[in-house]
Amino acid sequence: MTTLAWWLIRAQFRTRAAATCLSMLAIALGVALGYSIHLINEAALADFGRAMKVVQGDPDAVIAARDSSGGVPLATINAIARDPAVLAIAPVIETRVRIGNTGTPLRLIGLDVFSAAAVLPRLLPRNEGMTGGDIFGGRIFASPALLDRLGQRPGASVTLWRGDQRWQTTIAGDLPATGPDDLLLVADIAWVQEHFGPPDAVSEGRIRLAPDTDRANWRRDLAARLPADLLLRAAEDDQARVSNLSRAYRVNLNVLALVALLTGAFLVFATQLTAVAQRSTQFALLGVLGLSPRMRLLQVLLEGLAIGVPGALGGLALGYALALALTQRLGADLGGGYFSGSAPPIVPEVAPTLGFLTLGCAASLAGALYPAYLNRVQPLAQALKVGFLQHHRAGVPSHRRWRLPLLALSAFLMTRLPPAFDLPLAGYGSIALLLVLGVRSAPLLTQWLFGWLAARRLPAAQQIAVQNVAQAPLMAQVAASGLIVSFALTASMVIMVSSFRLAVNHWLDHVLPAPLYLRSKATPLPQDLLAGLERADAPFARVERMAQAALTIDARRPNVALLIRELERNNPAARLPFTGPLLTPPEDMAVVWVSEPMHEIYGIEPGQRLRLPLIGRVVDVFVGGIWRDYSRQFGAVTISRDDYLRLGGDFQPSDLALWPRPGQESAASDWLAGWTTGYGLELTDGIEIRHLSLSIFDKSFAVTYALEAAATLIGLFALAVTLAASVRLRARELATLGALGFDRRMLRRAVIFEGALIAAVGLLIGVACGIAIGAVLTHVVNPQAFHWRMSLAVPWLTVLGAAGLTLLAAVVASAYAAHQATRLPTAQILADVQ
Amino acid sequence: MRRRTFLTTPLLWPTLALAAPADTSVAYPPVTPGRRLVFPRDHGAHPDFRTEWWYVTGALDTPERDMGFQLTFFRSRPGTAEQLSSPIAARQILFAHAALTLPGDRLRHTERVARVGLGAAFSIDDCDVSIGAWRISRQGSGDRQTFRLQMQSPQFSYDFTLTPSQPLLLQGDNGYSRKGQRPQFASYYVSWPQLTVDGFLLFDGRRQAARGRAWFDHEWSTAVLSDGAVGWDWVGINLADGGALMAFRLRDAQAGTLFAHVAWRNAAGRLRQFETAEISFQVLRHWSSTRSGANYPVQLEIRFGEHTVRTLPVLDDQELSTSRPVPVVYWEGLVRVEGSFAGRGYLEMTGYADRLSI
Repeated sequence: MTTLAWWLIRAQFRTRAAATCLSMLAIALGVALGYSIHLINEAALADFGRAMKVVQGDPDAVIAARDSSGGVPLATINAIARDPAVLAIAPVIETRVRIGNTGTPLRLIGLDVFSAAAVLPRLLPRNEGMTGGDIFGGRIFASPALLDRLGQRPGASVTLWRGDQRWQTTIAGDLPATGPDDLLLVADIAWVQEHFGPPDAVSEGRIRLAPDTDRANWRRDLAARLPADLLLRAAEDDQARVSNLSRAYRVNLNVLALVALLTGAFLVFATQLTAVAQRSTQFALLGVLGLSPRMRLLQVLLEGLAIGVPGALGGLALGYALALALTQRLGADLGGGYFSGSAPPIVPEVAPTLGFLTLGCAASLAGALYPAYLNRVQPLAQALKVGFLQHHRAGVPSHRRWRLPLLALSAFLMTRLPPAFDLPLAGYGSIALLLVLGVRSAPLLTQWLFGWLAARRLPAAQQIAVQNVAQAPLMAQVAASGLIVSFALTASMVIMVSSFRLAVNHWLDHVLPAPLYLRSKATPLPQDLLAGLERADAPFARVERMAQAALTIDARRPNVALLIRELERNNPAARLPFTGPLLTPPEDMAVVWVSEPMHEIYGIEPGQRLRLPLIGRVVDVFVGGIWRDYSRQFGAVTISRDDYLRLGGDFQPSDLALWPRPGQESAASDWLAGWTTGYGLELTDGIEIRHLSLSIFDKSFAVTYALEAAATLIGLFALAVTLAASVRLRARELATLGALGFDRRMLRRAVIFEGALIAAVGLLIGVACGIAIGAVLTHVVNPQAFHWRMSLAVPWLTVLGAAGLTLLAAVVASAYAAHQATRLPTAQILADVQ
Repeated sequence: MRRRTFLTTPLLWPTLALAAPADTSVAYPPVTPGRRLVFPRDHGAHPDFRTEWWYVTGALDTPERDMGFQLTFFRSRPGTAEQLSSPIAARQILFAHAALTLPGDRLRHTERVARVGLGAAFSIDDCDVSIGAWRISRQGSGDRQTFRLQMQSPQFSYDFTLTPSQPLLLQGDNGYSRKGQRPQFASYYVSWPQLTVDGFLLFDGRRQAARGRAWFDHEWSTAVLSDGAVGWDWVGINLADGGALMAFRLRDAQAGTLFAHVAWRNAAGRLRQFETAEISFQVLRHWSSTRSGANYPVQLEIRFGEHTVRTLPVLDDQELSTSRPVPVVYWEGLVRVEGSFAGRGYLEMTGYADRLSI
């Protein structure tokens, strides 16, 4: 029995080598894409987690201010230290400084070496040789990576700048336990406080609890006693936050990989279906000789597995290679911009690897399921005589006609559902339904269109092709559905990305009104620069200042940006692109305007009164409106400088928008040049920022395009395979035609025309489905996953151009099938029939 | 904890691994004879001086006979960050060390380090020194005063109340205690022997009532190691007859005695002190540590005047090592004393392993 199974599998591989290899390749592609995304993400998270462990250690709890400009009072730190359950609390002051006039601000971590030893041991400094380094004496320590970057050795004198504050000191040694990507400076916490503040407070306290403490309870008790502007978070919260950073992006990529895998399963389906059809006589003979129906079913499944196992194994290898290549080229976030740093190491683990192997096998098994079923139910006698029975249903039975509208309705209703687990799961479901709808409507359209065409007068070859398509909807459906699915997905992505790009373009117009922008990147701008800008001889018609901070609203979510801008309280629309109505705030209340993502994530509505952690306490503010923001996915809130000052905030601008006086553009650049080189500030013009933003945008969709190309390729494979199979299936019919005087050219033309017709139907439905899915992506998936809203803009030229190209490719693929048709040994086939 | 650490400060003091030699511009006050100590004020911290410690050792009878415990707070003013105005400048650093000797079993110990202002605190008015939840504090006045010792750690915890049964003992010349031939090597040194211990002890998951006898020392100084000294041997013994015995010597590299001192207060309260010439330390038995390779004279015969006592450790292996950030290895533990007097107390021996680790 085993021998027979092997023999059949080997025969199958030999006779349908091309189709079998393509199926394997498709499975491999699906597995490879999914696996590589998984590997890359694991590597990125591990890398990010490791970097965070260096800086943050592995505390049981972290106490921090919700507002990045606030701090934890020393009294609170000391009170927590006295708790018997606390083994150690390591306070840190973290700030950003520049060394001399270098452009990028560096993280300076002020720590207390005594408590750091227990909680953040990897930040402990080491003295280099006999430099006489002394952390308590006000020397600093740099990570080896930073020393390399600076080209400095321990012993070097450096000046640290933060705004106007300056600290001249010496690098006393390095931080041996930091990684190759960690660019860090470490100094004693008191020295950092002395030079850069905050007085009487620290940025964070990282807590190590006694091992027998009930951590969750302890945290709950302490959190209940803390003032509202302080937040106690657990290490798990940080992990959740890291994972949340790229979660939606990742899920999106995984859905695409799943699509590739499904397309692979579909290709197996196409191959096996044709294989079963072609061998129906052989199977019928084996059946008569005693092969049970069950064994016939198992044989086809086994053949499916024989495709799936090597395919999935190949996919794992390919996925690993892909992960390596992609991380080297694009970085661990696949161009998504969520993580930074060099390529992380790719480390495959056993369980997920086996999982993806299983997934690949399951896909091929699923593909083989229906053909196996058909093989089981073939009536032997008939099959022996006339070959495979297509069981084709001419037309959709009337009792199933309601299915299509029902599918459409369900797909529509699912777009109305809210996100589940912060993910647009219903949106993805709706996309799946739309694809099913497209595939199921193919026979209907085929019959309707070709029934009508068949009634026209056409040349014989074309007439035959049309008749074939119209009357053998099973094969046509199989061939078309691959194209429908792959093209619909490709088109939808193109539509979504182009809508998004257009929206970003408009948005950039609105948010970049000034010709010049000066940024100091998270450190305050020097006061004398700000004073210089106020003088009458400064060559600027207008200057707008902005300060930034970060607020933690929910410890498990990434921080929300706080933007303090010089806006008119009554006319913020001059600078912010509002999406809805603008409400007038009560006179005595500070007003904030929240970004669209913040509105979606936290459910904040205009007109609502909000308690925000600002300036070291919690204040009541009025939500005046919602503005569009494509750059801060995790939310932003804007407050006017006047309101911020009124609340008692300290306005320390870090960003400037500058309008040079007309005709004095070059004078303006010269005027600023001294500041940019002296303080390491970054000056960019609006056009440059726009180019940069759009190039980042394009980069982040690079992988998406790669996946689309793969899906379309698989769709074309499917078309070629099915067509070739259907040609072989109709060998007798074609042989008869040949005997009747059809020459090879006519036969070829008939087959190519048939392929083109099927492709045309597939593409027609594909375009329609693509637009529908594009709308779902734009209006449901994007807002739910990324909290970005935009309007739908179909790039007709691109979509139709792509459809034309695919049709051309389909004709080429049909030519391959036609080539098979003309090589059929006519005489032998006809002789067999006798 | 490294009780006489100030003598070998540059070697033993953990912060100095990260700190440069102390800033000589810092003016530490000298230790001079004739200063009248005032209590409870002088139970409190003397932050101007370079080093200071509050040191409690004791022997328990409950829950188990000959259990030893020790809790030390060590204050250091390294002379760094003196010019800073930051409230958390590392001007004053506290180390605390706690140990528990389980006879026939082993020694457990744990430590804490923090700077004053960030987790650590002291009072300059009375004995009240703490790092987080670890604390030694004094309450009450006159005949009704007590000390409270609190410490928690994953290995063991205790909370003891110590009640004096005798008056304070001012070492040396009314608290001025010489540590070398030259007068600048000296400290202010106050002992309080024969304190009754009452409280509870938690280890191996069991909380048990604890009772015993303790010895309290408080010492502060500025002096550094006298020339040629590599280590010292010290004992503080509560005698069974109600007396108290304190003896120490400083050793040179050849294990010879550079300087020694003995104070013996008998049960009637009469204090006799002995000078180097009247004192001898004889080694009766060594114990070798397999961990450090150090050879400790765990059985010593100490003669002073006409008296002789011999030490007998309740456990040979009472060697301690701190690893952070430089390894320091020494022996400190509970011993019984026989000879002219019987009693129990603590023996500390340093400088036996250090030469090996350097």
